Order: sequence, then C-alpha cells, then structure tokens
Amino acid sequence: MDKVCPREKAVGLKKGPVDFFLLLLFMFCFALFSSCVSHLREAKLHYTQGQKYSRLYQTEDALGSFKRALEEAEHEVSKRPSSQAYMLKGMTELKLKLWQDAEESFRLAHSHGFEKGEEWAQQVSLLGLALSLEELWVEDSSLRIYIFLIEKSKFSPVTILAAQRYTDAMLKKAIHQEGKEREKLLASALKTAQKLSDEDLSCGFYHYLRSQILSHLADYGKSFESALMAKELGLPTEEILRDNDLQIVYCYQRLKEELSSKEWEDFREKYMEWVKKWKWKGPEAPSWQKERQG
Amino acid sequence: MPKSSLEKTVESGISFLSKIFPLQSYLYFPLLNASLFWAIKRTKEWKEKIFSWKVWLDPERVKLKPDDFILSFFSDNRALMRCFEPEIRKKDMASLRGSFARLYPILGLEDPFLSALFHEEMESGDYRKIVKEFDQKVIQAEKDISELKNQSKLIRGLKDFAGEMVSLSLELISQEKVQKVIAEIIKKHVRSKNG
Repeated sequence: MDKVCPREKAVGLKKGPVDFFLLLLFMFCFALFSSCVSHLREAKLHYTQGQKYSRLYQTEDALGSFKRALEEAEHEVSKRPSSQAYMLKGMTELKLKLWQDAEESFRLAHSHGFEKGEEWAQQVSLLGLALSLEELWVEDSSLRIYIFLIEKSKFSPVTILAAQRYTDAMLKKAIHQEGKEREKLLASALKTAQKLSDEDLSCGFYHYLRSQILSHLADYGKSFESALMAKELGLPTEEILRDNDLQIVYCYQRLKEELSSKEWEDFREKYMEWVKKWKWKGPEAPSWQKERQG
Repeated sequence: MPKSSLEKTVESGISFLSKIFPLQSYLYFPLLNASLFWAIKRTKEWKEKIFSWKVWLDPERVKLKPDDFILSFFSDNRALMRCFEPEIRKKDMASLRGSFARLYPILGLEDPFLSALFHEEMESGDYRKIVKEFDQKVIQAEKDISELKNQSKLIRGLKDFAGEMVSLSLELISQEKVQKVIAEIIKKHVRSKNG
C-alpha cells in the first residue's frame, strides 16, 4: 500500500480546485502554444516533404506539398510573424515561382531580423525582372541579369533558375548562328556551366546543362560523362530525367559510330554495367520507355 | 463472359467522367491514363492536382535541341522515318524542328497525358496529324479542364479511380496492356453513346 504523507494529503485536498484551475490553464496554454507552433511545424514538414518529392522526380506531389506548406506559412505569419516564418514562406513561394510574393516575404523576414533577407529579396526581384524582360523579347538585358545572378548570387534557387534561363538563351542564339560566332556562344555557355558544376559538384542539374551544351558541340564523349553524372546525382523533374536518359542513349549511338573498335569495346563494356545498374531493358531502352513499334 | 475487376474499375471511372465532361469524351483517356501513371509511380501519396499537367519539358527548351539530335529522333524510329522521309532527305531542319517540338514530348518523353490525348493518331501512325493539330488540341484540353467549375469533384473522382486501380496490383501487369484495356472500354462507351 502506498504511503501518503498526511500533510500532503491535506494540502492536496485543500488545493483541489486550484489544481483543477492550473490544469485548465495549462491545457489552455498548451493548446494556444501548439496552435502557434503547429503552423510553422506543419509548414516545415510540408516543405521538407516537397523537397523529398522533388528529389524523387515526383513533380506534382512536390507542388502539392509546397502549396500546403505555403498555406501553413501564411497562417503562421498572420498569427505570429517572425523572420523564420517569413523566410519559410519566401522559400515556398520561390518553389511555386511566385517571384513577387517571395521578394516581399524575404523583405519582411529581413525586417524581422533575418540578415540575408534583403539580399535574397533583391536577387529574387532581379530574377523576376529578367523573366519579364525575356517575355517582352528584351533578351540581351535579361541575359545580362542572368549572368550577374550566376556570378553573384549565393542563393541556390536563384542561381539554378538563372543558370537554366541563361543556358537556354545562349543555345537559342547559337542555333541561329554559324561558324565562329556559334562556337563562341557555345564556348561561353559551356564555361559558365563548367564553373557552376565545379562550384557545386553535387548539383545534377548543372551537369545536365553541361551535357546539353556539349551535345551542340558534338563532343559526345564528354556529353555522355556529364549526362551520366547528372543521372547519378539526381535531376529535379521526371521529364528532365527522361530527357537526360535520351541524351545518354543518343551519345551511345554517336559514340558507336565515332570510336575505334577497341575504344568502342571498352566503352560498351562499362556502359553495359550502367545499363544493368539502372535496370534498363537494353542499351538503347530506358526502363520507362515503351516498346517501339515499326 | 464476366467482367474483370480491371474492366469494372475502368467503367466506373468512365461513368464518373461522363457526368463531369458529358461532351468532352476526348478527355477520358488522357485523364484516366495520367491518373494511372501517377498512381502507379507513387502508391502511397496521391497527387492532388492530377490535371495540373503540362506539356513535358518546356516547349521552348525542346526547340533548342541540336540538329543532329532531331535528325536522329526521326531516323531512329522507322514509322517516323517513313512519315517524314521527304524532310529528312532534304534535311529541312525548319520543318523538322517544328514537328519535333510536338512529337518529342509524346514519342520521346512519353508524357502520359499527351500520349493518351493523341492515342488514335499514334495507333494509326498519323504523326503529321499530331503535328498539325497539336497546338489546337492541347489548348482546347487545357481550356476545357480549367473551365470546369467543380474541380474538387474531379480530383476526388480521379483519386478514387487511381486508388482502385492501384489496389488491383497493376504493377504486375504491363502498363501498356492496361492502357489498351482503358482505351478499348472508352471506345466502346463512346460508340454506344453515339448510337
């Protein structure tokens, strides 16, 4: 039998209504606290989930998660504005390509004490401006902004998008040129992609861009290597992953024609190991591809 | 012959869509096929915006492929080669690049929505028709879906369809076979509706 101190018992009896009141107060505070932290926590959870889906090439799921993260972040800033809440809101808006909203969120994060908020807001604003200029066909100005962002921005979502738009714009120019002018444009685009992949070796997307440029230069060996790196490191969406796979197949076909028989034998041996690892149906048939007819 | 669970599930999916889109039967296969594609890819989490589809790979980027990549796309596929033989022979890159921008998302990247939207043309090998009608048909589909007032009902319906399809362990059957079953049942439905 438990021993209960008579004094404690007496105090306990006397404190009964107080305890009840304290319990109610505690529950109220807990509910209030949890409702406050839960929006931020939920926003973080959905944001992380969105990133996870992005890494798994599940674009639509990622979008759904980012939208839910934004809803939660909006609740949080309306109830308890803080630098963290605004920063998370801005990051989510970036993922959803809501440039102006993201810029505003980073500015507000700065005003709540997030040091880099102002710098990020400026970069997002510049990116939004470049995208608008591109839509208005003012391509040279937008290209200059992309170069500036690639060189100066330390904010990876901005750098990645600027790199993509810059590469696309350079390839578009190169397609309409011939000879030395074309080579110059491609060399410049390649140098930028090389610099980006050297600075961030783990970003598969930079390797994908590099592989695409090298393909224009008909350097299929290096284009293959870059596409391989991109596949191994991961790509942001299912369609880019598939496009990269088709680039691998294309390089394989070109190298078959280009390499000497000994070089081809060596290459093919290594290539088939990758094919096995990726569980492809054959050297020219990625696992997701339908059987060709005719 | 009794209907299989697969047939019953597809029929209930069609019956649901025919109430939502009574006049746009051309959307049944793309929507069901896209739902099935994403459901099989991720059985645990349903994507809420099944119809927030887009043309795969930014169309602007598709146009940036090197000439040789485009030529290889056409000449590696015998059916395409037959169809576009005059342009390939003349190396008419302006024309081939335009056709490539429409065909690569369907035949190259195998976008589940677009390949179902142009299913009939693909079956008959009428690739020129795809090129000719691509822009108009894609814009029309986008318009019809975005103008639907009760979008949440559509999501719920497609979600149920995808859930039932996944429960049939379809990963054990080839996706192409499943697609054929869906296409056949939709054809039957449209034929019986048109009397």
